[in-house]
Amino acid sequence: MAGQRPIKFRLLELFSDEKEHWNNEIVTQMQKEYNMNSNFGRDSLNFDILELASGGMLKSVESKVDEDGVYKKGFLLHKYVITDFGKVRASDACLEYV
Amino acid sequence: MDIRELKKLENKRKMNKGYMWALFCAILWGIWYIPGTIIWAVPPFDAMWITIADPTGAELYENATAATLVVAVLISAFNALTVIIALLVWNGVLGKFGEMKRTLKEFHPCSKWFFLASIFGGPIAILGSFIAIGFVGAGFAAVAALLYPVIGSILAYYWYGEKISKRAALGIFVIIAGGLTIFVGGAIAEIQAGDIAWIGYIGGLMAALGWGIEGAIAGKGLDIAEPDVGITLRFLGENLIWWIILVPAVALAGYPIFEYAIAAFNPLSIMVLGFAGITFGYCYVCWYKSFPLVGVGRGQGIGNLYGLCAVIFMYLFLAQVPAWTVLVGGALCVLGSFVMISEETGELESLRGE
Repeated sequence: MAGQRPIKFRLLELFSDEKEHWNNEIVTQMQKEYNMNSNFGRDSLNFDILELASGGMLKSVESKVDEDGVYKKGFLLHKYVITDFGKVRASDACLEYV
Repeated sequence: MDIRELKKLENKRKMNKGYMWALFCAILWGIWYIPGTIIWAVPPFDAMWITIADPTGAELYENATAATLVVAVLISAFNALTVIIALLVWNGVLGKFGEMKRTLKEFHPCSKWFFLASIFGGPIAILGSFIAIGFVGAGFAAVAALLYPVIGSILAYYWYGEKISKRAALGIFVIIAGGLTIFVGGAIAEIQAGDIAWIGYIGGLMAALGWGIEGAIAGKGLDIAEPDVGITLRFLGENLIWWIILVPAVALAGYPIFEYAIAAFNPLSIMVLGFAGITFGYCYVCWYKSFPLVGVGRGQGIGNLYGLCAVIFMYLFLAQVPAWTVLVGGALCVLGSFVMISEETGELESLRGE
């Protein structure tokens, strides 16, 4: 159910398909689900992804400069994938992996 | 600039942000000792102490210890109350009530960690701190707790494998050595005066253990929660502990705690308690916000600069002149934090071992 679980739970859930996702794509999807369409909402969601990566639950596998301004022009875009530790924490949160 | 360098820069920026939050925490925490000290002399807490300590009015003060403990309970309870008000304002401004509700509902996977953290942070650490202030003094209370990052970082390392570089460990060690140097002067003076308030020292120990354990537990919950929301739930838990369990328990033990709780709603006491709530609440926000970015060990290490800040603020506002040991200790604290901050963190993408 969209918008019903805490933001970081949902983020882990989106990554739990074990595929690689660009941060800007995830942020855009989350903005819609959680109705956080302001710039503050966008940055706050991106920060949550950053915290998950910092905590070792996601890892960045590819980066590129946002030349076209799809997210924030001149900033780095990251492609993340869930880590084993991320899967463990996701299963703690009663997500996919049991 | 190529991608590698940009990435390094981004990491560095992230770490600096974490250190910045931890530094704000230290400053606000240091300021908190001002209202934390003044409140003991503000009505009704001053009268409350005398009534309980000297029930016969013969100025024998035979129940002084019990009086200090009971007053410490009531002050801690009010501290928790004003902190949660400050935090609700903070979350309201950030528009995070929705997320708070969502997180609160996830008790088993997530919010239980914050409630557990509130047990160690509240009745153990904060009460311990007020006991240390009440029995020994604010200066002692501030520095006694300086050992908490050792406990926090050891727990975080063994429990969930948080990476601590040698450099960070050295920084934490130097800051702690500085903190202990600050405290030695006061302790020697107290021992020479033949007035060793052992309950006060236990209070100091409670503060160090409580905050160290709280940090490690909170780190676990913060993996999957937003810090602003996490800290508010932690104080929600603490308020429940005080106002549903401990304050009524003290009342049942025969102390007039409710009577004085009602009397505390006077302008002066509300002002001082409000000041305590604002400084403590936002200090905690900063503390929790630094953990996901730099880790529990580093966040607590820099946060430890509060010992130095407290000494400075108490000198400025309460004219408590520091001894020379304080200056040496303070210099060590600053040195230790530079050891940590100057670490090359560009390559450090994750704080956890894989």
